Amino acid sequence: MSEVFRIDVNGSTHTVEADPKTPLLYILRNDLALNGPKFGCGLGECGACSVLIDERAVRACTIPLLAVGSRRVTTLEGLGDEGNLHPVQQAFIDAAAAQCGYCLNGMIIATVALLKRNPTPGEADIREELRHNLCRCGTHIEILAAVRRAAGLSQAAEQRKTGRRAAIVEGAAGTLERQQ
Amino acid sequence: MTVDRETSRDAQLSGEELLAVLSPVVNGEEELYLTIGSDGLVTAFNGHVDLGTGIRTSLAQIVAEELCVPFEQVQMVLGATSVAPNQGATIASETIQVTAMPLRLAAATARAFLLEKAARLHGLPVESLVVEDGIIRTATLENWSLTFADLVSGDHVRLAIDPDASLKPVSDYRIVGTSHPRVDIPQKATGRWTYVHDVRVPGMLHGRVVRPPYAGFDHGEHVGTSLISIDEASVADVAGLVAVVAIGDFVGVVATREENAALAAKKLKVLWRAAPERPDLNAPEEALRANPSTPRKLADRGNVDLALAGAATAMDRTYVWPYQMHASIGPSCAVADFREEGLTVWSGTQNPFPMRRDLSILLDMPEDRIVVERLEAAGCYGRNCADDVTADAALLSRAVNAPVRVQLTREQEHAWEPKGAAQVIDVRGGLDIDGGPSAYDFETRYPSNLAPTLPLILTGKIPAAPDTLQMGDRTAIPPYAYGNLRVTVHDMPPIARASWFRGVSAMPNTFAHESYVDELATAAGVDPIEYRLRYLQDPRAIDLVHAVAERANWVPHTKPGTLGGEGDLLYGRGFAYAVYVHGKFPGTAAAWAAWVTDVAVNRRTGEIAVTKVICAQDSGLMINPDGVRHQIHGNIIQSTSRVLKEKVDFSSTAVTSKEWGGYSLITFPDVPEIDVLMIPRPNEPPLGVGESASVPSAAAIANAVFDATGIRFRELPLTPERVLAGLNGGGQAEKPVQRKRSAWWKFGLPIAGGLAAVTGLLTMGSPWRPAISPIERPDANVYSSVTIERGRLVAAAGACNVCHIGTDGLAFAGGRRFDTPFGAVYATNITPDVENGIGGWSYPAFERAMRQGVSRDGHHLYPAHPYTSFAGAEDADLQALYAYMTTQAPVSEKPTETKLKFPFGIRALMAGWNAMFLKTAPFQYNKAEDAEWNRGAYLVETLGHCSACHTQRNVLGAEKGGKAFLSGGFADGWEAPALNASAKSPVSWTEQAFYDYLRSGHARDHGSAAGPMADVISALAPLPDADIRAMAAYLAKGSATVAEKSATAEMVVAASVAAQADAARLAPKGARIFEGACASCHTGTNALSSLALNSNLHSDSPDNLLQAILNGVEAPAILAQTTGRETPEIMSMPGFRDTLDEQQIADLAAYLRARFAPGKASWDGIGDVLRRVGSVVH
Repeated sequence: MSEVFRIDVNGSTHTVEADPKTPLLYILRNDLALNGPKFGCGLGECGACSVLIDERAVRACTIPLLAVGSRRVTTLEGLGDEGNLHPVQQAFIDAAAAQCGYCLNGMIIATVALLKRNPTPGEADIREELRHNLCRCGTHIEILAAVRRAAGLSQAAEQRKTGRRAAIVEGAAGTLERQQ
Repeated sequence: MTVDRETSRDAQLSGEELLAVLSPVVNGEEELYLTIGSDGLVTAFNGHVDLGTGIRTSLAQIVAEELCVPFEQVQMVLGATSVAPNQGATIASETIQVTAMPLRLAAATARAFLLEKAARLHGLPVESLVVEDGIIRTATLENWSLTFADLVSGDHVRLAIDPDASLKPVSDYRIVGTSHPRVDIPQKATGRWTYVHDVRVPGMLHGRVVRPPYAGFDHGEHVGTSLISIDEASVADVAGLVAVVAIGDFVGVVATREENAALAAKKLKVLWRAAPERPDLNAPEEALRANPSTPRKLADRGNVDLALAGAATAMDRTYVWPYQMHASIGPSCAVADFREEGLTVWSGTQNPFPMRRDLSILLDMPEDRIVVERLEAAGCYGRNCADDVTADAALLSRAVNAPVRVQLTREQEHAWEPKGAAQVIDVRGGLDIDGGPSAYDFETRYPSNLAPTLPLILTGKIPAAPDTLQMGDRTAIPPYAYGNLRVTVHDMPPIARASWFRGVSAMPNTFAHESYVDELATAAGVDPIEYRLRYLQDPRAIDLVHAVAERANWVPHTKPGTLGGEGDLLYGRGFAYAVYVHGKFPGTAAAWAAWVTDVAVNRRTGEIAVTKVICAQDSGLMINPDGVRHQIHGNIIQSTSRVLKEKVDFSSTAVTSKEWGGYSLITFPDVPEIDVLMIPRPNEPPLGVGESASVPSAAAIANAVFDATGIRFRELPLTPERVLAGLNGGGQAEKPVQRKRSAWWKFGLPIAGGLAAVTGLLTMGSPWRPAISPIERPDANVYSSVTIERGRLVAAAGACNVCHIGTDGLAFAGGRRFDTPFGAVYATNITPDVENGIGGWSYPAFERAMRQGVSRDGHHLYPAHPYTSFAGAEDADLQALYAYMTTQAPVSEKPTETKLKFPFGIRALMAGWNAMFLKTAPFQYNKAEDAEWNRGAYLVETLGHCSACHTQRNVLGAEKGGKAFLSGGFADGWEAPALNASAKSPVSWTEQAFYDYLRSGHARDHGSAAGPMADVISALAPLPDADIRAMAAYLAKGSATVAEKSATAEMVVAASVAAQADAARLAPKGARIFEGACASCHTGTNALSSLALNSNLHSDSPDNLLQAILNGVEAPAILAQTTGRETPEIMSMPGFRDTLDEQQIADLAAYLRARFAPGKASWDGIGDVLRRVGSVVH
């Protein structure tokens, strides 16, 4: 039985009408035309459909629409676009971390969640975090390099932000130039 | 809306200002290869497609180089049948080697024309002009230049490809041979790329297919003829259902929304003939030898028979390769738009032109009315279901006269994709007296063909008779100069549905060649590389072998074990070399590749870690060196996965590996360190690099394992159990599948006891009860709001609506079915409807039903209605409940009536039962306990009727008394665990834990409520905190009386971590299923408690575990919406009923028990419990 739901995706509220058990993935793809999350297994096994919900990487194929509630959903599209890339997207592009690219969405989403929790992950942390994101093309080497690069870029971005805040507080805008 | 349609060839050529290069006219057709527009932009066309290898980028580099334009100025169009040249299927690493050639000539033809035109316009000799970055200049006139745009403008020119066009010398290359970023990745990394899965056409509907039960087999007389009937009524209630379509064995559904199409496909009842038995393909050697075949001799030199007879050391070996799958990460998908005038499909096909031909046959439509738009899909390394689903979509679109998108399920892709075939290779040979190879008699069996597009077979459009092809011969000729050589391929039809998969037959053939030569070297007492070099004659191969040996610092050795080990680990290093030969025999060589690999073998667990791979490859000229490097990485990782882990499992009739637990892939922690050495050969022609580095993998790893352990493994995959069996000197028998039939209810009534009991009942009690006259429906207004509110809370405490909920969700409407040992009992309608509910019941009638189990009309109720608990309830509570029920909306529906079989159908017998088991005394408060405890006891024992589920029942279905009270029972297909000191939970239940669980559905040290208990907790939500605390206090005291448990959650979890290795050894398949199917949520950091804390893993009975596996568990967040719990898990556990088979679930359960309840006895008879649990209807 269809019901009307309001969900928060990529910073906007969307009204959708569907059965409460409908997987969030279908809502994102079919109702919101968001192609970032991909259908991979429907069983929560492969990670291709990952999205961020409240900064955690979760599998949209197993999330019933009813369970979403007022939580904030972020998809790959919500991270950034080609004119304004998220540091993790930038790192994956720099490292050419895709062959077919079907798993790329899950890899990027998982990396964003990891770096949020642990901005300086070690090699073992990265491998463990991505353990349940499957890639069949064998792009693992490039993906690992991308995650390491993303950690660096994110930290740099964070430092810039902190630096900027400090600069503003001190009223010394001139330091901004040097930092960048 | 995302609609991708390539501009057709005619439209491409319609521009007034255009330079086009086409093929010469053949049969009235000319094919378009290249256009340059008046803006100078170049569009190039190729019939091959990008399978994720980056060929789009490499081809653009080739065109840009030959035309001398900036790379950014070139756009590639791949595979669309409306415009691209027909260059056949994208196979065999041929794109760069073969199909790029006409493109290169087309670019050279265009460049020559533009130079000549510029020269003519300005009266200059062509030789004086140079072209660079799309601009033509002279060396002398510095202010003079012409762009390609200038030269194309104002004219429409068509050129035929000049086969003799002068090609740029490699020494002038600036774009080809330098690494170039892939053009597609920025869009893919931001979700802006359109894969075939992302195509949306206006008015598009969603389809799903339902495949026959012979999953993964495509020939035989039953194929296409197994459908008996379809029950369309089974999906009549699916919202937005448009059609159910059946043609032969092709069955599909179409709906307006995707989830509804998926639901309809799941619910559709289809009756099929039983699938026929197949040969055992799990150990494929026997089946392959028995498969009819035709020998084809590829080589016969020297005198093999004589040499074999005279060998000093005879060595006859057999190598066995398992069935494997392409395992694309995205299941195939397609969109089709069928109209009178023609068909357009959006497809991820690897073969757009053969696909068009198949659609033409399928739909009886001429090819020129069919357009195949080719879009990228998930990576595919051979033939997956992309073509099948395109044909599926076409059939469904034709049936509903609208565009239809069809998405295959993970299970369908796994089960039906044409597999990489198993292979059996025999090598007979040995050493001569000098330690040289005496003979090499090689025979290989490869049961595969091209796997016809499935709907053609399912609909009977083409016969389900298998073709036999000649594809077993790839790299069948060994690279070594064996003097006495015989090579025979046994061409054979497929057994399971099979087709080409990366490396095709070359990978297994090389496993044999390169293992065998290693065996010869060891037997001869010579270093394996040195031994190979004695017989290797190809100079590029010799260079390559030297290069990789040097890069790896290879230390010559003549026997295994030289690298030693530490602890349980044994270290080894192996080598293998191959050139991948593809195409019709004798075929064409692609890139050469050689591996040195390091392994660590754990002799206690049997696990192999491939720790490092050093791979050298000679690819000739490399168009995009970074692209080549990525292909080598991909091949190494994928082939390592295939060698260590991958094997398709079969039942006797079908493929059973239907998800990533049943068919596991390598994951990040197991990815080896990789060192790639790319041999620079810029002056040699470019070679295919898509497959070569996979080919030496198996032998290199097996040789390294031999070096570590001294044991030869000649059958793949090298799973821990195979390695352990090898290390222990024997084979490991597969456990036979338990197929015992058994009683369907564990606590079923023994016949003799049952009869005696019935006799007893007949003699006891007076069965007759008078009817109580019906009344007018009471007016709810006569009750005070305080009374009604009290009644609402009583209904909450009693969770009345959990059992009495209507089948369509209406409150108290009844109809839910409960399977009891005595038969199915249906809950009644308790809404105030006079006809069907209790609207005509007076309070005395209501009270009698509640306390004595007698309906208003005098008939006895069964004790599925827990009147034995309610009997002791406070009058005020029952009165308030009566009042509350009168306020409910009447539902005029009659639920299914309970009709038990004889003798239980005789309701009057319940009188005797009541005489034996019903105590009518009011609830006895205990003065020794405080008010909170007493309130909790009252709620638990009467209104809450917890004992109805949580207490075992005797053979007559009555709750047992004494110690059995709240010691656990079974209800509704679930085990209701003990709530007292007999609880199996590894951590004791505290008052706080009971409170958390009853209030929020989750207790940190125990887990989340599921199944019927989740409904109960939701029902308890209106109760005030004080009542929940009271129940918790009462229950905690009861559970603590004899509790001796002192384990903390940390200790329990630590024990399960420690048990992991032993559990994997006990149930290796179960371990893999857990890792692939469960661990993504049940390990690591998330909102779920560890399974080690879950009572169900520690129980004597696996019922609840199996319930969860079969039917899934709803997201705790849904329950949390009623209970207010914060940060619950929002993902639901999917049900695996249609995904895992009985053996897989048994393996998984064995692993879960051993890992998460170490020390507990293993569960017996999982199959029986599975049937019991599986038969419960919800």
